[in-house]
Amino acid sequence: MTSADARLDTLRGSTAPLSHTARTVAALTANPGCARRAVLDAAGADKALIAGHAGFPQTSGASQSPFALARGAVFEAQVKAGGAADLIRLLRGKLGLALPEVSYADLEQVGGNTDRDVRYRRTRALLLRAARHPDQAGTLYDHPMLRLQVGGHLAYLEPDVVAFQVSGKFHVIEIKAFAVIDGQADDESVAAAAMQAAAYILTLQDLLTAESLPEAAVSTDAILVTPENFSPNATATLLDVRKQVSVLRRQLARMTRIETLLDQLPPGLTFDLAPGPDEDFTRPRGELAGALEAIPARYQPRCLKTCELAGFCRDEARAAGALSVLGSVVRDDLGSLDSIPTALALASGSREPSADQADIARALRHARNLTDALAGGAA
Amino acid sequence: MKEALDALEDRIAELRRAIRRALAAGEQDRVRELRAELRRTERSWDALVTPADRQEEDRQGLASLLPAREQVHQALTLVGVPAAPKLIGAVHSAFFAGQLAASQLASLRRDEERSYRAAPGARPYYLCPALTSDLLSPARALLCVSTWPLEQRIMGPLSPRVDFLSAAIRTAEAAGALSATAPASTTVERLLRRFAMNIPGAGPAHSGGSVAAKTIAAAARAELDIHTAQDQDDRAQAARRARQQLNEAEQLFGTRLTAIPGTGTARR
Repeated sequence: MTSADARLDTLRGSTAPLSHTARTVAALTANPGCARRAVLDAAGADKALIAGHAGFPQTSGASQSPFALARGAVFEAQVKAGGAADLIRLLRGKLGLALPEVSYADLEQVGGNTDRDVRYRRTRALLLRAARHPDQAGTLYDHPMLRLQVGGHLAYLEPDVVAFQVSGKFHVIEIKAFAVIDGQADDESVAAAAMQAAAYILTLQDLLTAESLPEAAVSTDAILVTPENFSPNATATLLDVRKQVSVLRRQLARMTRIETLLDQLPPGLTFDLAPGPDEDFTRPRGELAGALEAIPARYQPRCLKTCELAGFCRDEARAAGALSVLGSVVRDDLGSLDSIPTALALASGSREPSADQADIARALRHARNLTDALAGGAA
Repeated sequence: MKEALDALEDRIAELRRAIRRALAAGEQDRVRELRAELRRTERSWDALVTPADRQEEDRQGLASLLPAREQVHQALTLVGVPAAPKLIGAVHSAFFAGQLAASQLASLRRDEERSYRAAPGARPYYLCPALTSDLLSPARALLCVSTWPLEQRIMGPLSPRVDFLSAAIRTAEAAGALSATAPASTTVERLLRRFAMNIPGAGPAHSGGSVAAKTIAAAARAELDIHTAQDQDDRAQAARRARQQLNEAEQLFGTRLTAIPGTGTARR
C-alpha cells in the first residue's frame, strides 16, 4: 500500500471505498481543474452522503435514482438472457458477426470469487489471450473488470458493458435503458454513454499496448444497445467515439498526480462522517464544510449534472460572488472582471472602470439602462 | 441487478429512519410524504425481484399445487437444459398448472445444497447449479437436475447458445403437442416469440406476424448443427476433469476459488 493510498484512506474515513466507474472518470475529466472532486473520487468517498450531511443533498442529476437503476438492470438482464440471445442477434445484424461466433464468458465472478483484483487479472488474461490467438478467442465477455491509471492512482472500472471480439477487433458494448425513438435519442444521454464507452475503449487500448499489442485492435466504434421505440425490444447503434477517446487521453495526461494534490492538504484532514450506533452521522456539519473548503474546487453550472457535491460548491461560489456561477458563456464575456459584485458595481456606475475594463463597463451600464427602462415602462 | 436492489434497499432503510425521526418530531405532513415514498420504493423492489408475468398472480395469492422444487423439476425436465429462473418461470406458466414465483427460486440453490449435505442421496433428485467448464465452479443463475449426466450440467463457452437453441426446440415441440389438444395460449405464444426473434430463420416475416413452432424447431436445429460438435467436445473434456478432480458433492454443486491466506504478493 502506497503512502498516497494511506492518505486517501484517512481522507475517506471509516467506510469502504467506492469504485471509480466510467461515469465518474468521464465526469472527472470534464472538469480536470477541480481538486476537490479529484481527491474525493480518488479516495472513493461517497460524495452523495457527504453532500447530504453537509446540508446540500442532491435533488437531481448525477446520483442515479434507484428507479432508473432498476429499469437499467431489468433491461440489461433481458438483453443478456439465453446466452445473450438478443445481443447476438443485434451483433449479427449490425456488425456481420458470423454464425459460429457465439462463445460467452462470464467475468462477474471467478470461481465464486468476486474480488475485483481477481476479476481484473482474469479479464486481463482472457482478453490478452484473445488478442494473441484470434482463432481461439471467445466472442462475448460479460462484466469484464478493467483497470485504469487516473491521476497516478489505480481505478477499477466495472463496466455494465460486454466487450467482444469479432474478426480480431474488440468492441465495447454499452447497454442503456433510455429509448431510441425513430433513430433519435436524448442527446445528453447519448453523449454520456459515448464518454463512458470512450473510457472503456481507452482502458482496453492501454491494456493491449502495455503488452506491445496493436492499439488498433480496439475498435473506436462503440455499440450502444437500447430499447427500440416504445417496445422493450433491443436495438443497437454504432457510436464513433474517436474524438471522445482523444479528449479523454489528453485530460488524463494533464491530470495532476494525486500526490501533488494531497501534498497541498492540511494533515489529518478527513471527510469521515463518523457514523454513530444509530447509523446517524455525527460529524458536525460546520467541521465537514470546513474540511471540504480546505480543498479548492472549480464550480461550473455543468457540475449540477455530474457531481453530487455541486450544491455545496455552488453555495460556496455564490458566497464568494464568483462569476463561474453564471456559466461559462457569461464568464467568458465578463472575462477581465473578477467577481459579481465588481460587475454590478460597474453596471450601476458606482465604481470607476480601469482602462481594460472600459469596454465591458460600458456594455454593463447599457444593459442596466435597458433593464431600468423596461422596468419603468412596465410599472 | 444486485446494484439496483442494494440501492433500493438502502433507500428503504433510509426512509424508515427518516419516518421514525419525523414521528419523533411530530411532523405529520412529512411522515405522510415519507410513507408514500416508502410504499413506492417497496413496490419497485417487488417489481425488480419478481418477473412481470408473475406479479398479478402473486397478488392473488394462489397456492401452488406442488412444492416449488417439484415445479422447477417439471419445467427443467421439459426444457432439458440448464436454465435461468426467468425461463423456468416462463416455461412453467406456459405448460403447467400452479404458480411459481421467482422469490421461491431465489433460495432454492442454497437450500438444495444444504439438504444434500445434510443427507446425501436421500432425495431422488436435487436441483443444482450448472458448472463452468474452466473452473468447475457454480455458474451464475442456472439450475439443473442432479440426475442429468455431468456433460449436460457443465457449461462450455458455446453452451449458453447451444442450450438456448435446445430449449427452443424442446419448447417448440411441447407447444406443438399442446396445440394438438388445446387452443394456443398467449403465454406459450410469447415464449415462442422470444425464441423466434433471436434465431435466424425462425421468426415471422414481420414483427407481429404469427410464430410457427415447427419453423422455430427447424431453424434452431439448423444453427445447432454449427456448434454441437465443438460444444460437446468442450463439455466432455470438462466432465472428464471433473470426475478425476472432484468429489460427489463438488460434482453436483461445484467448487469455489478461494484465496489461501498468507500466500501471494502482499496486498493492502
